[in-house]
Amino acid sequence: MNKVFPILLFSSFSVFCLSQGNNISNEVIEIAEELAADESDPEIAELYFEQLHELIENPVMINSGDEAEISRLFFLSEFQVKAIKDYVQTSGKIVSFYEIAGIPGFDRQTTEMMIPFISFSDKINSISDTLIFRNTLLTNLIIKPGETDTSSLGSPWKILSKYRFNAGRFEGGFTIEKDQGEKFISGSPSLPDFLSAHFSYSGKGIIRKIILGDFSSRFGLGTNTNTGIRTGLSLTSTGYMPGRAEIRPYTSTDENNFFRGGAAEFSLKKLGLILFYSHKRIDATIRASADSSAFFVESFYKTGLHNTLSLNDKKDAVAETSYGINLSFNFKFLKVGLCWSENRFLLPVKTDKSNAEDLYKFEGCRNQIYSLYYNSLINRILLYGELSLNDPQNLALVQGVTLRPSDRLILNILYRNYTPGFVSFHGNGPGNTSSTSNEQGILGNFIFEAAKHFFISAGCDISNSPWLKYRCSFPSLAKKEEIRIKYLPFENLSFDLSYNFRYSMLDNQLENGIAQVKEVKTRTVKGQARFTLNNVTFALRADYKVADPSDSKGMLLLHDIIYRFRQVPVTLWFRYCIFNTDNWDSRLYTYENDLLYSFSIPALSGEGSRSYIMAKWEIGDIAELRFKYGLTSYLSSAYENEEKDEIKIQFRVWF
Amino acid sequence: MYSLRKISVSSVLFFLFLTVSGGNPYRFSAGAGEAGIRYACSMKPGFWSSFHNQALLAYNNSLSFGMNYENRFNISELGTRTAGLLIPAGKTSLGIMYSHFGYYNFKRQMVGLACGLSLSENIAAGVQVDYFSEKTTGEYDNYQLVTCEVGVLAKASDNVMIGIHLFNPVPNSLRKNVLPSSIRAGAGIELSKVLFAGAEAELSTGEKLIFRTGFEYEVLKKFWFRGGFSTENTSFSFGLGYLLKFCKLDLSFATHERLGITSCASLIFKIH
Repeated sequence: MNKVFPILLFSSFSVFCLSQGNNISNEVIEIAEELAADESDPEIAELYFEQLHELIENPVMINSGDEAEISRLFFLSEFQVKAIKDYVQTSGKIVSFYEIAGIPGFDRQTTEMMIPFISFSDKINSISDTLIFRNTLLTNLIIKPGETDTSSLGSPWKILSKYRFNAGRFEGGFTIEKDQGEKFISGSPSLPDFLSAHFSYSGKGIIRKIILGDFSSRFGLGTNTNTGIRTGLSLTSTGYMPGRAEIRPYTSTDENNFFRGGAAEFSLKKLGLILFYSHKRIDATIRASADSSAFFVESFYKTGLHNTLSLNDKKDAVAETSYGINLSFNFKFLKVGLCWSENRFLLPVKTDKSNAEDLYKFEGCRNQIYSLYYNSLINRILLYGELSLNDPQNLALVQGVTLRPSDRLILNILYRNYTPGFVSFHGNGPGNTSSTSNEQGILGNFIFEAAKHFFISAGCDISNSPWLKYRCSFPSLAKKEEIRIKYLPFENLSFDLSYNFRYSMLDNQLENGIAQVKEVKTRTVKGQARFTLNNVTFALRADYKVADPSDSKGMLLLHDIIYRFRQVPVTLWFRYCIFNTDNWDSRLYTYENDLLYSFSIPALSGEGSRSYIMAKWEIGDIAELRFKYGLTSYLSSAYENEEKDEIKIQFRVWF
Repeated sequence: MYSLRKISVSSVLFFLFLTVSGGNPYRFSAGAGEAGIRYACSMKPGFWSSFHNQALLAYNNSLSFGMNYENRFNISELGTRTAGLLIPAGKTSLGIMYSHFGYYNFKRQMVGLACGLSLSENIAAGVQVDYFSEKTTGEYDNYQLVTCEVGVLAKASDNVMIGIHLFNPVPNSLRKNVLPSSIRAGAGIELSKVLFAGAEAELSTGEKLIFRTGFEYEVLKKFWFRGGFSTENTSFSFGLGYLLKFCKLDLSFATHERLGITSCASLIFKIH
């Protein structure tokens, strides 16, 4: 295996330079790295990439003039969605990326973020009723040859297969996934470890959408129901998407956070109505009562990994039924929504109340949430908010405002208050945690085009948890600060510089007695230069991180080359990175180009190097093949070296 | 006597890790002109580009021969002797380099065969194959290693150059011995016809990040004055250069925060 790399390396050097880069913007990458570093929510980065890859595969029809369609670009603000819609309606079709940068509320930085995810086609307005089938089949195979776990139930391959078809107003597909070490077929009846399927109909009249099978949904700001990613992923976002109501076919691979059943969306003039019903089995740890007369759910298991016998026992352990209704009213300057949802479990959930951390945790079989949300756009001020209640004591409140005093300045303020007892099993509101509970905080930021091609943005988020949480046995405070400078002197040259400060409180676990407070602070400076010339792109990046209280320091320097052959439809990505960190505290995260529906943001710690090469071959208009080989070398001592490698293969075909 | 020899070898090994090559003792550096700007030269073409960024060889258009001697801290045992030959061939230029560090009881030698190629008007790339030999008297092992270096140069504008250089981007599992890798990236600007300034960063496996910056100023016609700074050992440098018909002489001096001065002299002959 280790001999494969140099051969590829040298063959790539022989063609070294001339390429067109992967054009995912630096902002998108920074958000991804931030999410990957969030240990409290290990699934969020994967979810983020799945949404991005879905957008790449199914780009947003920017010329559709349809707000719902444009708002699929979840990183845009309401201002920007409306600005595009108004522009298309008044000035006609957008024909180039440069034109977007000229729309009020947009700049080159935001346009760069959008480029991989949009199409200038307006086919959404011309959906044909003729049933012409278009099919897409994608298969990913991933293996890490150096990692063999004899306790695993299945093969070391990670396999993902997605099939999707479109036929006029109908759409359908399925997703099959098996993680590393899992059995491909298991259970009774024998089915793949994860199997998801959907069939949907989209209409223009009263019936807007009907989905049968697996679906995801989001209502308002997400404190009630949001099975996608939360609003406000980045401290320096241009805006935060306020309340929307949507149901979508589910095509992701999170094995628990989705709905299975049916959903329908209706629209009549200014009134919108969504109904949904779901029944599925989810992973959980089941325990028997002391006298073994009854069973209960001790905890829910969310990672979706079933590669050992004990983890396999958690698979599909309890049945969950969910249903709800969302009613929305769309007036000219005001949108208001009402939502009700309920979750029921076949077995009761019981927690150990002697553990102070679990005092507010959910108990019982049934959970209800009532929500009211709104957003109002008045000239250059956007107000939005949401209130969700389990009962009058347990609530989630979000209130935000976005101001655009001039076309070159955007200001955002977002307040949230989630009481410790608020419970939402499929909610995901704005904030730092995925639980939408036990958090109060305020976020403020601005984005300023200080001069032509020169952008400054900064943000600060202060939050506190009024009750105990994981690894924190006391009420705690957290802070995030970020400053970013971007300079785009030429079309093919860009410079990014960012400074991040993170503060959090954790247990300083002593051998005996009550845990004391450990204040964890990290400061990170990142600098990047990107240069594109014809069909070659070079990127250079340097990171420096200091983590306290351990005073651990970490740094890395990396170099990317992306090369597109002129004669053949082949693109090559090559990276070489050297990293040195004192320990795990100062680890550094680096985004890597990867297969579609797969992502790689390794946490680099210790001393060593990380390199990869990836090739993409577009086989006419019918298929695409990708291959990636990655290698991480750790210098364990001056004379010893440890290496880990991985191989990823993807085949996509359209027919 | 034997123990004395052992001590001297140990001291040499200690000093090896205080080299000017970005903390990577296996990456030789050469050129008094380059040393004068504290080796902030991964984007600045010159005769000794084989030691800094092979892509820069693409800008060589003359048959040249050069010699370099570097002496660290006035200790003759810590001297490096280097010789090189550059052969132009159209858009390509070939380089053959030899370096010798050390003395009788410990010596490290390097032979490099380099090639720089202009890929387009604004991009050049280069590659070099290195053979290292390390010999120590006594019971210590001798080592031989083969590796490669790769460099890229991009002209961002008429007067701005960006250079990237990778040393040993080869998995260590292919060898018996571990060889540190380095990545080096920098940008340089010709502020006027007589003034050049450059800055670069370098990171080697197991070492701290190093920043370097330097300038070269043509004070009089064919007479250069140079200065530089490196965060490695908080080192400052200055140097002089003079071109006499077909021969160029360069001198440089660099400080070390604890150990003293490293001096360097090089002669380059333009044959054709």
